[in-house]
Amino acid sequence: MIADLIETIAKILFVFGINMGFFSPILGWVERKQSAVMQDRVGANRADIMGYKAIGLFHPIADAIKVMVKEDFIPDGANKIFHTLAPFISLTCSIVTFAVVPFGGQYEIFGHKVNLVIANLDVGILFVFAFASLAPYGAVLAGWSSNNNWSFLGGMRASAQMLSYEVAMGFTIIGVIMVFGSLRLTDIGMMQEDFFRWGIFLQPVGFILFLTCAIAENKRIPFDMPEAESELVAGYFTEYSGMKFVMFWMGEFLEIVTISAIVTTLFFGAWHLPFITDADLVNFFSFAGQTGSNFLAILVNVATFLMKVIFFIWLQMTIRWTLPRFRYDQVMKLGWKMILPISLINIFITAVIILV
Amino acid sequence: MLNGTLTPKKVRPNIDLSLWEKLYIFEVVRGLYITSRHFVIHLFGFIFPPAGKKRSIPTVYYPEEKVTLPEAYRGRPLLVMKEDKTEKCVACGLCEKICPGKAIAISPREKENGDRFPFKFVIDMSRCIFCGFCEEVCPKEAIVMSKEYESLATYNRENMIYNKEMLLRPEKELKARIDYVRRIYSKCNQ
Repeated sequence: MIADLIETIAKILFVFGINMGFFSPILGWVERKQSAVMQDRVGANRADIMGYKAIGLFHPIADAIKVMVKEDFIPDGANKIFHTLAPFISLTCSIVTFAVVPFGGQYEIFGHKVNLVIANLDVGILFVFAFASLAPYGAVLAGWSSNNNWSFLGGMRASAQMLSYEVAMGFTIIGVIMVFGSLRLTDIGMMQEDFFRWGIFLQPVGFILFLTCAIAENKRIPFDMPEAESELVAGYFTEYSGMKFVMFWMGEFLEIVTISAIVTTLFFGAWHLPFITDADLVNFFSFAGQTGSNFLAILVNVATFLMKVIFFIWLQMTIRWTLPRFRYDQVMKLGWKMILPISLINIFITAVIILV
Repeated sequence: MLNGTLTPKKVRPNIDLSLWEKLYIFEVVRGLYITSRHFVIHLFGFIFPPAGKKRSIPTVYYPEEKVTLPEAYRGRPLLVMKEDKTEKCVACGLCEKICPGKAIAISPREKENGDRFPFKFVIDMSRCIFCGFCEEVCPKEAIVMSKEYESLATYNRENMIYNKEMLLRPEKELKARIDYVRRIYSKCNQ
């Protein structure tokens, strides 16, 4: 009982720490620096402590200080409650999803069974979708409560776009569920132990569609209609400043991490290295004793998972800085006329193959 | 291009995409390949920036490094000083007349031998538009545009009014620009 509690708290602290302490500050730096490197620029590198610039790594600290001392502004005529609530919804939705994402297999430490996922839900993937579909509330509430035309337009666009792509995303996932036969993300991860059973080989079309829908869900370029700097100032968070503004950004960055984690879990073998099973890992580290070998295997699992997540973060950033923005009608056409039919065809073909 | 091969570009509102392009995903991958190539090339140069201008990133780290300006650059106008520490200017007032921003104000005086000289020569830098007309119109090559572009920003508008003492520079400092002016305007006047 106590061991379970300690285990859960440790896992929560680990996941929360790695998200809030590592990913959310570092991604701001990554976005600046990666865009700079891709566009033959230098990027932010002027914030220094005692003359050390550390390739711009102090910029997140400078940003944090700036944001904390900024005025928290609520516009005249705005709905104060919803205006304050919206960023919290946006941030919470993207953090909570990590509860069901497994970052390692099942191991034994000091005779206690450790399952490297915070909540091993039967309906893990549905939980992810439940919170993904709560996310539009953040954008819509922010847009509506700001008492600003641009914000309102951004909110409307956000709702239309996110609802459209939610449907297509659900259908793409059905193919994966049919192949693996389970809604539990841990099971899906377990089944990808064999390299040739990775989701990308079983559902290649599903991967592309899912990544597209996920980026559209996250409202990032090329699907950044709700923000659209050149059209709507900053879209639904035009009227936000200080900490609340940053909460939207943190929500967006953490959603990148979420998407990467889900894509890794569903399509890229979760925590598995290619051709190496968990049992192989434990055997390989058997020199460290029962607990030690399990612990080392956990470390390898987590490191593998994080490396895959970081690769997909890189991929999403590259997509964001490569492609131009769609027009609104193009976004809708792509969502309803292309991705949705293709995902339905994908389900049909998958079903036929499984049946045969 | 100069031999009449330049054709005007037409905007094609309805571009016919091939099936390959209509599939979109392959074109996206092609775009990603280009940006990723730049990323990989510059990644190592960004972690360990090579010294000097050997790097392929054209950024200039401004306060530490400065751009080498061409002769044609029009910085703020300066007065040319002769060997005997006096200005070349004869206070004819042409620059004052031509100045589109009305930035120049001259009060002329006469020396004992009858030569005119500017007793006061004031340029209001908050009005100057750096057009170079004063330099073009000057019959004595006494006022030229320079390569000085710094220290124009101040907290006080009074600091932007430059008097004669602040504008005078020795002739050899401005030699290159005077030569350039001679070359370029003599060519125009032929």
